[in-house]
Amino acid sequence: MLSPNHHEVSSPSHFQQLLSADLDRVSVLNFWADWAEPCKQMNAVTLELAKKYPSVLFLQIEAEAQSDISESFDIESVPSIILLQGHTLLQRISGADAPAITAAVAKFTSVSSANPQSRTDLPPATAVANPSEDLESRMTRLMNQSKVVLFMKGSPDAPRCGFSRRICGLLQDQKVKFTHFDILSDESLRQGLKKRNDWPTFPQLIINGEFVGGLDIVQEMVENGEFSEALAP
Amino acid sequence: MINLADLEAAIRNALPVSHLEIQDQSSGCGESYAIVLVSEAFEGKGTLARHRFVNDLLKDQIAQMHAFSQKTFTPKQYQDLVAKQG
Repeated sequence: MLSPNHHEVSSPSHFQQLLSADLDRVSVLNFWADWAEPCKQMNAVTLELAKKYPSVLFLQIEAEAQSDISESFDIESVPSIILLQGHTLLQRISGADAPAITAAVAKFTSVSSANPQSRTDLPPATAVANPSEDLESRMTRLMNQSKVVLFMKGSPDAPRCGFSRRICGLLQDQKVKFTHFDILSDESLRQGLKKRNDWPTFPQLIINGEFVGGLDIVQEMVENGEFSEALAP
Repeated sequence: MINLADLEAAIRNALPVSHLEIQDQSSGCGESYAIVLVSEAFEGKGTLARHRFVNDLLKDQIAQMHAFSQKTFTPKQYQDLVAKQG
């Protein structure tokens, strides 16, 4: 049962109506999809936060059904949370980061100073990769880490975008063994691959170290027989 | 956004077309198109090469859309497809 400040958005006009009812209050937009497991956690978190903060507006937005709204906020993956005050963007949270959303709602609704829940004096962990390996060599190494490599948003068990989910499904249907890399975890790699493969989007499928295509192309190749040729030893 | 007639004209100007279908997937808003394009210009080109070729020829038009998807066939491939579908 949703509390009075918690709504499922049914259309762009419903969205505008809810926001403009009070342009001074903070709103939390939760972009979700029923096929993405991490969204279950974030949905549960927003349900609890809505009960705790009755003055904040909580909006559930099914990202694919409300694609116009998703696009206007540049939503690339689910779950994604946007905090607004009226129409002003306060913060963006990408991924099922329950502590981040809890802290953000607390931050923007109270003036009191932060009360840290944990403290550490340890230095931040250093990256595992060899620091002297440059981006080009790193991309080459990853593209050749197995015969078939998929650069995607999220992972096959927890895809973070519809296209990434569908290409995983397609590879599984075709019984193709592949390794993956989550490009959401590494911004320099994400931009580097777009330039290297001269392709603006993800997912990107690599076979034998060479860029093959995104979802549309791989689908077409399956249909015209080119895919099995590309996989031949 | 780009209107369907302009997109069609741009495609026909860019390469020889034996069959073309254009679908506006944004419910008439001209923001998102899916095309089926049959052309002898695709002979000898793999799928990726065809897509890059079309993306390049139509880059000004694609820049005006939010989303674009394409299915490409040579005349022979398209003939075979139609025969299979009966």
